[in-house]
Amino acid sequence: MSIYKHEYRAYAGRLTSPWARLGVIVRYALAEAWSSRVTAVLLTLSMLPVIVYLVGIYLANNPMIRMLIMRGKSMIEIDPAYFLKVLQTQCWLALVMTAWIAPRLVSFEIADNALPILLSHPISRFSYVLGKFTALFACLSLVTWVPCLLLFAYQGYASPRPWIFANLHIAGGLLAGSVLWIALLSLLGLALSSWLKWRVVATGAIFAVMFIPAGVGGIITGVLRTKWGFLLNMPVMMSQLWQQLLDAPQTMRADRQLPGASILTVLLLMCGICVLMLNARIRAREVVRG
Amino acid sequence: MRLGGRTVLNGLTGELRGKAIGLLGPNGAGKSTLINTLLGFHVPSQGSARVFGLDTQRDRARIRQGVGYMPENDSFIGNMTGVRFVRYMAELAGLPAGEALERAHEALFYVGLGEVRYRKVNTYSLGMKQLIKLAQALAHGPRLLILDEPTNGLDPLARQRMIQTLQAIRKEGSIQLLISSHLLRDIDQTCDEVLILKDGRIAALCDIEQERRSQRNFIELEAAGPTEAFCETLRSLGCECASFAGGRIKLVVPDRIGSRDLYVVASQTGMQIRRMQRRRDSLEDIFMRAMEAEPARGELVHL
Repeated sequence: MSIYKHEYRAYAGRLTSPWARLGVIVRYALAEAWSSRVTAVLLTLSMLPVIVYLVGIYLANNPMIRMLIMRGKSMIEIDPAYFLKVLQTQCWLALVMTAWIAPRLVSFEIADNALPILLSHPISRFSYVLGKFTALFACLSLVTWVPCLLLFAYQGYASPRPWIFANLHIAGGLLAGSVLWIALLSLLGLALSSWLKWRVVATGAIFAVMFIPAGVGGIITGVLRTKWGFLLNMPVMMSQLWQQLLDAPQTMRADRQLPGASILTVLLLMCGICVLMLNARIRAREVVRG
Repeated sequence: MRLGGRTVLNGLTGELRGKAIGLLGPNGAGKSTLINTLLGFHVPSQGSARVFGLDTQRDRARIRQGVGYMPENDSFIGNMTGVRFVRYMAELAGLPAGEALERAHEALFYVGLGEVRYRKVNTYSLGMKQLIKLAQALAHGPRLLILDEPTNGLDPLARQRMIQTLQAIRKEGSIQLLISSHLLRDIDQTCDEVLILKDGRIAALCDIEQERRSQRNFIELEAAGPTEAFCETLRSLGCECASFAGGRIKLVVPDRIGSRDLYVVASQTGMQIRRMQRRRDSLEDIFMRAMEAEPARGELVHL
């Protein structure tokens, strides 16, 4: 084809690799996510707690300020409990980001029935989902493990004592806790968005899935007097997991604490259900039934 | 091919090699299922399907690389501009970003959407949406273009434009076309060959051009009097003749027999010819004959 001749011209140039096509999906998904100002506003708001925690680390480590304001005492302890607060704050902000971004990545294409055209190109269902997942994971990384590890690094830099090597398990816990959480959020967000045509409903559903089972779990725990009801209570379950990963003091009674293996099993189960939901939905949508 | 416990395509064996092939059949004949099978969306429950000599399941990605597909229903990303949507599809087909952008512009101008390429797709009219589906199917320079009901829902002007574009593509010659439609006129105007499906089986296949070249003279008569005697006489002269109730007669006559000869025979047999209509064999006739005939079972077809 050429514009001035208006004639068809076959393409004889080079082709990109299959992995590069996965990159195309990621790139367009990221562009879609960041085409909204709301996304930028949410990211900015998500950075405010990071600044507060950063100031906290600065105050805890600056000898001049400790002398002048805190009179030599350390009012803020930079320990696993401090980083647990950072992680919890950022992870719940990531949920808000997911509720906004995930429906944008999928709902438009599902609502406009774009999958038959998209998947008639040399990409598979798996590549399509992986591309969307990667884009969402990258967005959520910006508010979870990236700022958490930056704060950890700053604490290591600002601390007068050799701190980093003695507390590497905190960095590992921050990374593992964030990655587990945002992987779950990404899959959950995509799965729910693929089943719900309207973005607003999908956004609501993401919050609902997170908090309605928590209420049910609370009832089970209260009525049956068992700790296993917490396995439906995502906030409690994740808090316990993060405490274990960071080696932070437990906030619940010992008889209410869940084993790490059971928490991981529930998370894996949820991820599995999300993958099945995505597969079922996208498989059903990839062809126009004749 | 079985879908939902129902056999949709059955005993379909053949090879299509033509430049522009029409896929005809009534609703539910299996046209879209055949297309989806060729694109690798459906796994044949028995046998195999091959495109460019490649297995549709094993070499799905390589096949899709060389195929441009325009689905029947609305299928686009509404909140993207036309040029961005076509570029995205071209990049997914394997074109580098720069090339994809260039060809997206070209494809949109080629199909006649150049002036509206920066508008969001969800603001397009139905005709424009059909054209942008065609543009995205063309942008990566496919070897085979599969179009499922390309004129679906178009007004006469938009339909004419689509037909002209398809004719131009066929004339250019570097792309093979497979066009599925239940509109005989569309297939007649855009294809050289036609494969007719009925109940998931091949009902007929023919080279439209060849059929046109070898067209026979069809004559329909309305007559009064002894039609059987008239038919008998014509059969003895080498005509094919069938008489129906109400004095209707259908004839296939050799070139050497003219209208005057028919009047002579009618006069000799005491029959009055009240009306005579001469017409050529059309795609509609081919289609109707195919619909009346029992579909072929597992017959090897070549086009």
